[in-house]
Amino acid sequence: MTTVNIISLNKTYPNSAAPVLKDFSLSVHDGEMVAFLGPSGSGKSTLLKLITGIERPDSGDIHFDGVSILNVHPNKRGAVLMFQKSYLFPFLNVEDNIGFGLKVQGMSSASIRAEVKRMLNLIGLPGIEKRKSGQLSGGEGQRVALARALVTNPKLLLLDEPLSSLDTSVRINLQEAIRAIQRELGVTTIFVTHDLGEAMAMSDRMALLLNGEIVALDKPEALFHRPRSVAAAKFMGVSTFLSGNQPCPEQGRRVTVKNEVCFSSEKIFAIRPEHIRVQKGGCENSMRGVVSDCVFRGEYIEYQVDVNAATVRARMPMPAPMFPHGAQVFVKFPQEHLFEVT
Amino acid sequence: MRHLTIYALRFLLYILLAAPPLLFAAYAFSTRWFFPAPFPAEWTTAAFARVLRDSRTLSSAAQGLGIALTVSLLSLILALPAARVLGLRKFRGRQTAWLLLFLPTVVPPLAIGMGLNILFLRLGLAGTLTGVTLAHLLPTLPYTIFTLAGSFARFDENYEFQALALGANPFQIFLHITLRMLAPSLLTAALFAFLISWSQYLLTLLIGGGQVLTLPLLLFSAASGGNPSSIAALSLLFIAPPVLVIALTARALSQHGNEIREQY
Amino acid sequence: MRSHPLFAPWFSLAPALTIVMVLLGASLWYAVAESLGVIGAIGQNQPSFSAYRAAFLPASEFWLSLTFSLWVSLAATILSAAGALILAVWLSERNSGGFALHWNLAFPHLVWSVVLLLILSQSGLFSRWAAALGLISTPAEFPVLVRDRFGIGILLSYIGKEIPFLTITILSVLRSQPVGYDVVAENLGASRWQRLRYITLPQVMPALLAGSLLVFGFIFSSYEVPALLGVGYPRALPVLALRYFLDPDLRLRPTGMVISLVITAVTLVVAVASLRMGEK
Repeated sequence: MTTVNIISLNKTYPNSAAPVLKDFSLSVHDGEMVAFLGPSGSGKSTLLKLITGIERPDSGDIHFDGVSILNVHPNKRGAVLMFQKSYLFPFLNVEDNIGFGLKVQGMSSASIRAEVKRMLNLIGLPGIEKRKSGQLSGGEGQRVALARALVTNPKLLLLDEPLSSLDTSVRINLQEAIRAIQRELGVTTIFVTHDLGEAMAMSDRMALLLNGEIVALDKPEALFHRPRSVAAAKFMGVSTFLSGNQPCPEQGRRVTVKNEVCFSSEKIFAIRPEHIRVQKGGCENSMRGVVSDCVFRGEYIEYQVDVNAATVRARMPMPAPMFPHGAQVFVKFPQEHLFEVT
Repeated sequence: MRHLTIYALRFLLYILLAAPPLLFAAYAFSTRWFFPAPFPAEWTTAAFARVLRDSRTLSSAAQGLGIALTVSLLSLILALPAARVLGLRKFRGRQTAWLLLFLPTVVPPLAIGMGLNILFLRLGLAGTLTGVTLAHLLPTLPYTIFTLAGSFARFDENYEFQALALGANPFQIFLHITLRMLAPSLLTAALFAFLISWSQYLLTLLIGGGQVLTLPLLLFSAASGGNPSSIAALSLLFIAPPVLVIALTARALSQHGNEIREQY
Repeated sequence: MRSHPLFAPWFSLAPALTIVMVLLGASLWYAVAESLGVIGAIGQNQPSFSAYRAAFLPASEFWLSLTFSLWVSLAATILSAAGALILAVWLSERNSGGFALHWNLAFPHLVWSVVLLLILSQSGLFSRWAAALGLISTPAEFPVLVRDRFGIGILLSYIGKEIPFLTITILSVLRSQPVGYDVVAENLGASRWQRLRYITLPQVMPALLAGSLLVFGFIFSSYEVPALLGVGYPRALPVLALRYFLDPDLRLRPTGMVISLVITAVTLVVAVASLRMGEK
C-alpha cells in the first residue's frame, strides 16, 4: 500500500494575509489512520485539497511511496475523498454510484457489478444496488460513499468530517464500521475532524493542528494523558495549569494557579480536570478556594472553584458531594497526576 | 358564495387563455363566415390546406425552426462557460460583466437591427442564414446566461471534485456530472432561446432583408392585409411550438418564467 | 478544468462577451455614423447634423409620433401596473394562478395583436356578436377599436401581455416575504384596506416600479404591435423610424437612425432607473 510524506508545505490564499499552512510536514505510514484535529480555519481542509490536487501548494512537496505527486493530474493520484455530505450523484442508483470510479477507468460492466457487490457486502448493505441515492438514510449514504471511494483501490483515503452530520447512535456505529473496514483493507487514511472523542476512537495517531501548524502528534492515549505542550493540553481538555518550581504545592509555599499561561522561566505543570479533587477539609497539596458553580451531569459532577483569582475546573465521578455557591472548599492536586508542559 | 366568485373568475381566466387557439381554429377551419353570423356555419380544411400548400409557408416554418434550433444550441455553448464563472466565482469586474451581458435586453431590437443591417451588408452577411442566426444570439444570450448562472449559483462543485478524485477526466466530469446535474436548467435555457428566436420579427426582417423568411414575417404581412382564414391558419402554425413548449415545461417555468420577460 | 486553480474567469466569459460586445458595439457605432451621414446610403466625408436638424424641425412628424408613443406607453404601463397590482393581491391571498400566468408566454405579442385584430375589427367576432344581439346592423356601426387614431387597439394588446408579466413580478415579491407581517398587522387591529396600504404596497412598490419602467421602455421601443394595430397617421416612433430607414429615398435613412437613437437613449435611461429601483 502507500506511505505518504508531506514535506514543508506552504500555502497562502491570494486574498488573505495569514498563511493557511506553515512549513507543514508529516509522514503517514502504510496502512495507518492519522486523525487531524483542529478548529475550523486551522488548515485541515486546505491540506486535503492540496493532497487531492484541487489546490496547489505555494511550496513544498507531497510524496506517495517516495514519488512526488504534485505534477500528477488529480484524477490519477488515487487519493479519494469522503465529505460530511455523501455527494452521491443524485441521478445514479447505488450500483452506478459505487461503480462510477471503475466505469471512468473503462472496466467492463460485468466486473463492475461483481466489485460493487463485494463492496456492498463489505459495508454491510448487501442487495441495495438498485436503490436511488435519495432513498438512503444519512448513515447508509455515508456507507455507500465509503464504498464508492474504496472500490477503486485508492492509495490514500481522505475523510473530511464524514460523520459530523449524523445522529449520535449512527455516528458511533459508523466510527466502528469505518475503522474495521480501514483495518481490513489496510488502506492508508487521513481523517479530519473537530471531535476529540471521534479522533481518539478511530486513529492510530492524532495530529493537533492550530493556525496551519502541527502542535502535537502522537498516539491518542499518549496525547490524552501526557500532552507535552500547553496548546496540546488545552486541545485535550486541560484547563488548569500550575506554575512554580516544583510540582507539589507543599504547605507554606506559594503556588499560583493559572488558566491562561504566560510564558516565563518558571516551570508549568498541568492536571486533567478529572484528577482534581474538591473537598471540605484541607490536606497535602491542596489550596483554599470558593465554589462558583457546581453542576450535576449525571455520571459526574462538574465544579468551578475560584482559587487565587483563577478558575479551576474539576470533574469528580458519582458519588461526589454537591456544594452551594460560595462554599469554602479545598482543591487538591494529587502529585502523581501533575505533569510538566512547555 | 365566495367560492362561486373564485370559480367564476378562474373559469374566465381559463377561457381567456384558451381563447386564442380556439379563435384561430374557428377562422382557419371555416368557410363563407360572413358578417352577421355569430359563429361559423360551414367547416372545412380547405383554407388551412391552401396555406399549407403555399410553398413559402412550409419553407418559412422549416427555416425558422432551423434558425431557432441553431440559435438555442449556440446560445447554450456560449452561455455555459460564462454562466459558470458568473454563478460560482467572485472576481473583480463581475458586476461589469453582468451589466455588459444585460445590455442587449435593454437596447431596442429596432436599433440593434438597423445598426447590424449596415454592418452585415458590409460583411456580406445580410440576407444569409448565418447573419440572421448571429443577430438572434443577441437577444437570446442574456437570458440563457441568466438562467444558467442561476443554477450554477446553486451548484455544488464538490460533486465534480468527487468525480475527479474517483479518476474521471475533465471531459468525463463535464459529460457525466456537470451536464447531468444541470440538465433541467439547460433544457429550460434552450427552450427560452428557442422561443425568443422563433418569434423574432424585427431582427429577421432587418438582417434577412426579405431573403430569409420565417413564420412571424409571413404572419405579419398576412395580418397587414390578408384574409382572416390565412391569418388564422398561419397563427396556428406559429403558436404550435410555443404552446407545446410551455405545456411541457410548466413546472420549470414557475421558477424561471419571468426571466424571459419582454423580449419575447 | 479543475487542475487550473488560477483559471481566469475572463477566459470563460470571452466567447459570450465578445459576441455581445462586437455585435452591440458595431451596431451602435454604425447607427451613430449613419445618423451623421458619414456612411451608408449617402456616404459623405464630413459628419453633419443635418439629419438631426431635419428630425427635430418643429413641423417634423417626429413630435407628433413622440407624443403618440409617450401616450401609448404611459397609458399602457399605468393601466397594466394597476391591473397587475389588483390581480396579484387577489391571487396571493389564494395562492394560485401561477400556471395560468405563465401560459401567457405561449402567445407572443404578434399573436395577441392578431387576436385583437380578429376580435375587435369592424367585421370581427365582437362586431358579429353585437349584430346577432341586434345592437348594430352594419359593420360600420361597430366602434373603431383597432387601427384607430388613439391607439386603443395597441393599448389593449400591451395591457393583455403586460398584466401577467407584472403580476408574476409582484407575486414573486409577495411570496418571498415572510407571511408574518400581515398577520401581525391584523392582530394589531389594521383593517383590510390599512394592511394593503401600509404592509403590502410598501413591500411590492420597488419591484412594481422597476418592472413598470421595463414595461415602459419595452412598449416605447417596440415595433410590431403599433405597426399592425396602428393607423398611418399618427404613427408610433419606432414605426416612423423604420419607415424612414427603409424608405426608397435614401436621404431619409439618416433621419430614421436619429429617431432610433432617440428611442435607444430613452430606453437606456429608463433601464438605468429600473436597475436603481430594483436594487432598493
